[in-house]
Amino acid sequence: MTQRISKYQRFKMMNPILQFFKFIYLSIKVLIIVAGGHGGTRQVN
Amino acid sequence: MAKIVVLGAGISGHVAASHLRRKLSREHEVLVVSPNSNYQWIPSNIWVGIGRMSSKQILFPLEPLYKKKHIGYKQAKAVTFHPEGDKTEAKPYVLVEYVVGDKKGQQEKVTYDYLINGTGPKLNFEATEGLNPGTNKTYSVCTYTHADHAWEGLHALIQEMKQGKKTKILIGTGHAKATCQGAAFEYILNVEQELRRHKVRDMAEITWISNEYQLGDFGMDGMLLSYGSMTMKSHEMIEMIFEDRDIKWILGAGVNKIEDGVAHYENLEGEYKTETYDFAMLIPSFSGHGFKAFDKNENDITDKLFKGFMIVDADYTPKPYEEWSVQDWPETYQNPSYKNIFAPGIAFAPPHSISKPRKSKNGTDITPAPPRTGMPSGITAKLVADNIIDTIKNGKESLHHKGSMGNMGAACIASAGYGLTSGSGVSITTYPIVPDYHKYPKTQGRQLGKTFGEIGLAGHWLKLALHYAFIYKAKMRPFWWLIPE
Repeated sequence: MTQRISKYQRFKMMNPILQFFKFIYLSIKVLIIVAGGHGGTRQVN
Repeated sequence: MAKIVVLGAGISGHVAASHLRRKLSREHEVLVVSPNSNYQWIPSNIWVGIGRMSSKQILFPLEPLYKKKHIGYKQAKAVTFHPEGDKTEAKPYVLVEYVVGDKKGQQEKVTYDYLINGTGPKLNFEATEGLNPGTNKTYSVCTYTHADHAWEGLHALIQEMKQGKKTKILIGTGHAKATCQGAAFEYILNVEQELRRHKVRDMAEITWISNEYQLGDFGMDGMLLSYGSMTMKSHEMIEMIFEDRDIKWILGAGVNKIEDGVAHYENLEGEYKTETYDFAMLIPSFSGHGFKAFDKNENDITDKLFKGFMIVDADYTPKPYEEWSVQDWPETYQNPSYKNIFAPGIAFAPPHSISKPRKSKNGTDITPAPPRTGMPSGITAKLVADNIIDTIKNGKESLHHKGSMGNMGAACIASAGYGLTSGSGVSITTYPIVPDYHKYPKTQGRQLGKTFGEIGLAGHWLKLALHYAFIYKAKMRPFWWLIPE
């Protein structure tokens, strides 16, 4: 059965104060993943 | 002194040109050839398509910037490739044709020492009969002019709904092998939110139509991701969002014909069906530009350079899905026949799709093509530029910089509605983009933690912040290079 977004989840998703901290967290996490480097795959040590 | 010619001024072409110019001294020439006069930040087109941003906010003219930064610029389109020169021109060159001004229609041989093909895709609307933006009630958000038209169409429909007309809206992919599901996904959620803002949501039935086997495939075979304290599949996450927004969905659909307000499609069961609509935004298939290439004796060598898109250091050996591996994917985007030609971004020919290939019972391929838009375009363009810079500085070929999509993370910050306090975004990151089933066998080929999803207002703010940051970067404002691709 498909998950539903509860009222409490929606409150958390749209609360500007909570989301401000989420914004900081997301920015750092995305930056780490995206800028965390990339490379080849054909020479595995 | 070296001359580097960059074809195209989209994300990959512009990124490559700007890094080359920053790191190479003025004795080396960087020349951009593009038929477009403006740079556009394509990810924000969806906001133009709902009337929340003007197209002027997402573009700027290229010529003044290039003049200021000492980057050569010709507003012209590539016609043919001559990687060995010809009988009268010893150097390799690209034949280009000017598209505006006094020189319009004139052709010129543009010689090069290094060539970066950043021409991206051809928006192949003609592959689907009747799919032409602005006709048959279908629209596109692939360019800012298309997005402007889409908003005109949507705005008119909203006015009709305010008069009491019940409508049907269809958004998704317009071809059995289309890609860029992410853009359509963003657009459908933004349209849904705009209808609520205009208080006409109850007047519209909104339907997602896609060539994906499951929701959340996005041309990347779907993903297993962390969502809060849970681990869920991407299709479960997207189903949850569509259920919440009351959006219906049709999957495994290869749209093959468009008539006025009617989309014809074939599904994986082999059934031929139709879906009616009053407004549709369907992403076309992407194809190569159909360039031809010739050797110095004018013999056709197109198959050395192109396989639809440009051939690079990928493994193109045909093999079944079970034998695909991340090692098939290119690392340096260098053409194997002509080592001074590179094709980052969408311009390179992928070895195969990322999603499992599927055929309908009639034998029609209905599989999303692999996405290479946005971030991978920027990253691959930068590494190509870095390799060329190293080669020029060292005086010998250097391919030290590598970036396989099988060893690269990507962020898809999908807008789910515009508004500083009412907006929403679906933030999804994947690592790696191409699943590595050997390295991560128990998590569908990807690293959990680095592959995660989040829904909420913060996602909208992040998307908006990226809009301003990347336009700042593209304008080459002070310290622009500190912003990663």
